Amino acid sequence: MGFLSTFVAWLLSLGSSLMVMIVLIILGLVFRVGWQKAVRGGITTGVGLAGLFLVVNVIVSALQPAVAAMATRFGITKTLVDVNWADAGIAWGWPGVAGLIVSLLVVNILMLVLKLTKTLWVDVWSYWHGSALAGFVWAMSGGNVWLGILAGVLYLVAGSLMSDLTAKKYQEFNDMPGIGVPCGTTVQASLFAMPVVWVLDRIPGLKDWDASPDGIKKRFGLMGEPGVLGFLLGVIIGIFAYGGTAADLGLAQILGLGMNVALMMIILPRMVSIIAEGIIPITLSIVQYMRERFKDREIYVAVDCAVLLGHPAVMASTIIAFPLLVLLSALLPGVNMLPIASLAVVPFWAGAIVPYTKGNVVKTVIVILLYAIPFMYLSTLTATSHTAAFQMMGQYGAEIGKGLKLASWDMGGDILGSIIQGVFHLFGV
Amino acid sequence: MGRLIVVACGAGINTSAIAEDSIKERVIQEGFADVEVKRILMADIEGYLGRSDLIMVVSMMKIFRTFHVPVFQGMPFLIGTKQEKDALLDKIVDAVKKT
Repeated sequence: MGFLSTFVAWLLSLGSSLMVMIVLIILGLVFRVGWQKAVRGGITTGVGLAGLFLVVNVIVSALQPAVAAMATRFGITKTLVDVNWADAGIAWGWPGVAGLIVSLLVVNILMLVLKLTKTLWVDVWSYWHGSALAGFVWAMSGGNVWLGILAGVLYLVAGSLMSDLTAKKYQEFNDMPGIGVPCGTTVQASLFAMPVVWVLDRIPGLKDWDASPDGIKKRFGLMGEPGVLGFLLGVIIGIFAYGGTAADLGLAQILGLGMNVALMMIILPRMVSIIAEGIIPITLSIVQYMRERFKDREIYVAVDCAVLLGHPAVMASTIIAFPLLVLLSALLPGVNMLPIASLAVVPFWAGAIVPYTKGNVVKTVIVILLYAIPFMYLSTLTATSHTAAFQMMGQYGAEIGKGLKLASWDMGGDILGSIIQGVFHLFGV
Repeated sequence: MGRLIVVACGAGINTSAIAEDSIKERVIQEGFADVEVKRILMADIEGYLGRSDLIMVVSMMKIFRTFHVPVFQGMPFLIGTKQEKDALLDKIVDAVKKT
């Protein structure tokens, strides 16, 4: 224990991108991916992590003054800065990430052997939801790695049970035998959709109301482009924050904010992708090993939620939901974050909902809006532990000192994650 | 002129990268010097369909439409055993040889 905590402390002092590099190289060697792939993977993910923080830095320094100006000018208290997938930085950069990966694999094998689940959780990338939650709990507890791992494993185990419930439906609708999708807020959207769709199907008039996915994509498709959407949202916030304040009516600042938000919307997912790229060899090695061992059992192999995005109703519903979600967040009292980066998670929710609405756009939009409301409040509630996690990893310390608070839907607003955080809180963490 | 294989997925973050990795490795092994493997978003596919060097689409999702080039479903790259994966790679290599 003494040695381990010294080692962890040293790793942490290196900063998260060097730490994840070393951790992944060691894991790569443990899972026998070969030293070349291990080294390449470790460095790739380290670079992705460093890049992610660079991008978030740009957006934090652009957006924070803007939301602060909005608050002073109009009393609009939407002061939390939406960083959404920057949480992948917590997930892969907190010091317990290797422990979490190994622990979950062990627990998953045990559950499979005891027939408690059918989900073979081999998609290491999608552990990140659990790992980010683990990072929050680690930060809440003042740096207890073990409590973090426990929270993360609990979350991921719950994910595999939810995957058991939804796998068949996903397989039929997307024509992909043998898969399951245990990812965080995506699979929860399916569970949420089940009763809501049951009710919607019993409302006369609404029952058969639909809209054509292709028509929507043709007319409003541009709004579904992350860059365009980001620019527009940046400009709208800019008008509230700076409109009429300078010689050029604040135009330079307004357009500048638009460009910065567009930059985040396009570059942030790219950085997340680089992080994911480095983890691929480890994932592939684990898939091989586990598939050999569970050959003759019916299992659902975990895959990334991106496989659910194929149906045309997914993007159509997402495009319609975007402005409504922003409006809802602006109007609901007590919701302190305007979603920008977090909108990127909405297509995944739609992907998890369409198998239940059978591709009906109107019903899918209704389910998305209802599902998002708890996220709006929970992301506001969890902003403190969220911000603390970034701070403990040595990110944005100066800005946080000046009152910056970070939030997101995908992890911060996560219903299951917030419940687990709450339970740990009850036990005094 | 080179030949282009696009690997399309919904988010361009994780799943298409896995398939791209496996296909690239095999393409190099086979010595196809002119074959480029490119990872794209399914939403961006229109821009590639008009290209005359496009020879194949590998999709990581179910696509609810058809294309004028061969389409392969890339799921075995994510969840397949080594045999399943190699079988799919053999099919892809055969299709490349035919172009």
